[in-house]
Amino acid sequence: MPNSAKKQKHILLVGNPNVGKSTLFNLLCNKNQKTGNYAGVTVASHEGTYLYKDEEVEIVDLPGSYSIYPTSEDEAIFTKYLIEEQEKYSGVIYIADALNLKRSLLLYQQIKDLGIPVLMVINQVDLAEKRGLHIDSKKLSELLGQNILESNAKKNIGIDEIRESIFKDEFSVSDKPYFDIPSENLGLVFKISRQIEEKNFYKVWTLIAADTYLGKLESVKTQLNQEDRKCMVPKRLQVQETIRRYQQIDGIITQTISKKPQFKELLTEKLDKVLVHPVLGYLVFGIILLTIFQSVFFIAEYPMNWIDAAFAWLSETSRTWLPEGPLNSLISDGIIPGIGGIVIFAPQIGILLYFLYLLEDSGYMARVIFLMDRFLRPFGLNGKSIVPLVSGTACAIPAIMSTRNIENVKERLITILITPFMTCSARLPVYSIIIALIFSDGTFFGVKYKAIALLGMYFLGFATSLIAAFILKYFIKNTGKTFLVMDLPTYKMPLWKYDLKLVLGKVWEFITGAGKIILAVSVILWFLSYFGPKDDFHILEHHSDVKLENSYLAKIGKQMEPVISPLGYDWKMGVGILTSFAAREVFVGTMSTLYSLDDDAPEKSVIEKMRSDVKPNGEKVFSFATGLSILIFYAFAMQCISTIAVVYRETKSWKWTAIQLVFMSGLAYLASMLVYQFFK
Amino acid sequence: MPNKIIEMGLLPETSFVILHQAPFSGPLYIEYGEEKTRVALREEEARFIFVEPEN
Repeated sequence: MPNSAKKQKHILLVGNPNVGKSTLFNLLCNKNQKTGNYAGVTVASHEGTYLYKDEEVEIVDLPGSYSIYPTSEDEAIFTKYLIEEQEKYSGVIYIADALNLKRSLLLYQQIKDLGIPVLMVINQVDLAEKRGLHIDSKKLSELLGQNILESNAKKNIGIDEIRESIFKDEFSVSDKPYFDIPSENLGLVFKISRQIEEKNFYKVWTLIAADTYLGKLESVKTQLNQEDRKCMVPKRLQVQETIRRYQQIDGIITQTISKKPQFKELLTEKLDKVLVHPVLGYLVFGIILLTIFQSVFFIAEYPMNWIDAAFAWLSETSRTWLPEGPLNSLISDGIIPGIGGIVIFAPQIGILLYFLYLLEDSGYMARVIFLMDRFLRPFGLNGKSIVPLVSGTACAIPAIMSTRNIENVKERLITILITPFMTCSARLPVYSIIIALIFSDGTFFGVKYKAIALLGMYFLGFATSLIAAFILKYFIKNTGKTFLVMDLPTYKMPLWKYDLKLVLGKVWEFITGAGKIILAVSVILWFLSYFGPKDDFHILEHHSDVKLENSYLAKIGKQMEPVISPLGYDWKMGVGILTSFAAREVFVGTMSTLYSLDDDAPEKSVIEKMRSDVKPNGEKVFSFATGLSILIFYAFAMQCISTIAVVYRETKSWKWTAIQLVFMSGLAYLASMLVYQFFK
Repeated sequence: MPNKIIEMGLLPETSFVILHQAPFSGPLYIEYGEEKTRVALREEEARFIFVEPEN
């Protein structure tokens, strides 16, 4: 019997940003993909596998970079992985862009000089041909001593050849480095190479020339003496290396690329005449934002109504079929509506995410960065900050992770700290229910008050983030240069089907994540509401308002009252806010559960119960002032443990994470108090 | 000068064309090189590259 143990291979996927790495990654790996981020921008590494001729290949897709010397956090991740994990992988697939071959060769050379086996894939060759650029791959292969394949990832061309090449191990290793170490530094390189027993001179050179973390050999730096340090000016060495490499690359390019006398203007150039126009550009961006807003809130209405009906039916069915008693109430009136309250937002979140993915994919976001840079700078931000701010309307967590491509540390820090102010999709359930409670159905020039209120909340989030940025600008130390040097990629047709798949996955994650929390919270609330201090309680009797008031839950709520009544909240809202610290969207689930637990009218929907709830003196519990106060509280408060965790991970600073939490909580408390006191 | 400019292939004495500029002295949208690479950079960064008007 033949041994059927599968061979395993580990391959890295590297190249400049926007060359189509991720597209190729998705085409190669059809199963087991672990994605690490939301938006199309690869800032975390993805791992995927595929099976080919009995061999299991694991591919790691790394963030793009132009050079081995990182300028931002995501590039640092790339370099670190490349150098530190060298034992783990057998080779690198280097994806070069046919439209920017010269630039692609810089990083390529550096990787080859490090002694890493490479298989080169030139992507978008047909596009280059259309443009009038002809690449002689055979000649290039000869000159570089490199195996080269051509592909068009979008059209699925060349994928099988790539798999075959990987299977056959057609990776090339350099026998001679491309870069000659400048004579003035040779002595130092020899010395260190003997000291640390590293035969690869280029590797030693990178150690000297790197000004940021560059792998395991870092510790050696500390062993260098004063004398050696004097001739090391890292940035200058890097520039020297880059210039010399490009001189070489120029020579290679002239022999391998021939240009037709007439350069055909690509669609990209035509589109950019409008999209980057000083007036039209902003207009188009505004229209796109409005279209997204419209779609999210109005197209989503149809599926939302179905979901609403479905959960109402589920609730009704469970109420009828489960045995009478408090458990029935918990499930039919607490848990089911609670989870329904989250699922109903799935269409909105899905549509929003889908738009964001499509925009990223197409390459349009680079133009948005271009348009917004000038306006964000006075706030201590970079044009690149617009991307996390926009994607923060879906969820702050991936948005914060995407700040890794902001080079300047201060700009990145400010962006991370302000992103949670953007109205994320978790706040939507809360906003929707409160706005429905406190605003009438009237319209203002044909636009519903409710819609205006919702838009207002989005605007508030954005304005607050800018104001916070402006303040932070003066408190954070300036470090390093701020700059914007960014590639403007050719426009690409977005990956409609692939993005849809991603979105569905993310929405499912959202529902199950929130669902678990709601389930847990509902059960805990049920217990706390069901049991109380011995003397006042009969366990088996059906609940009435009086009994609930004597439970542990009510006791906890009452303890909070002195703190929350200046904000206009009663103890039930207090409990709602408390549970929201786990995740904001849980508010609705908590309210459903609370209102179902002390229930005389189970047929009414949660919102009707909330609307008709009155205080002993006859006033509405959810008055305008109170409702507004809740809205403001949720706009400003940091109620998401996952966000706090990500902020800590990305800033690596307890100090800033704590400052953000304290500041946001304080702001939420004060602002909602002021709003309540003013409007009551 | 940010090294990134050089890493992206904008070497000294490379000629480039300014296609667009964002309003209020915003970033420049330039095109350079044989392959007509398109890059955005701010005025401050562009000043590092010696600009000589082409006929």
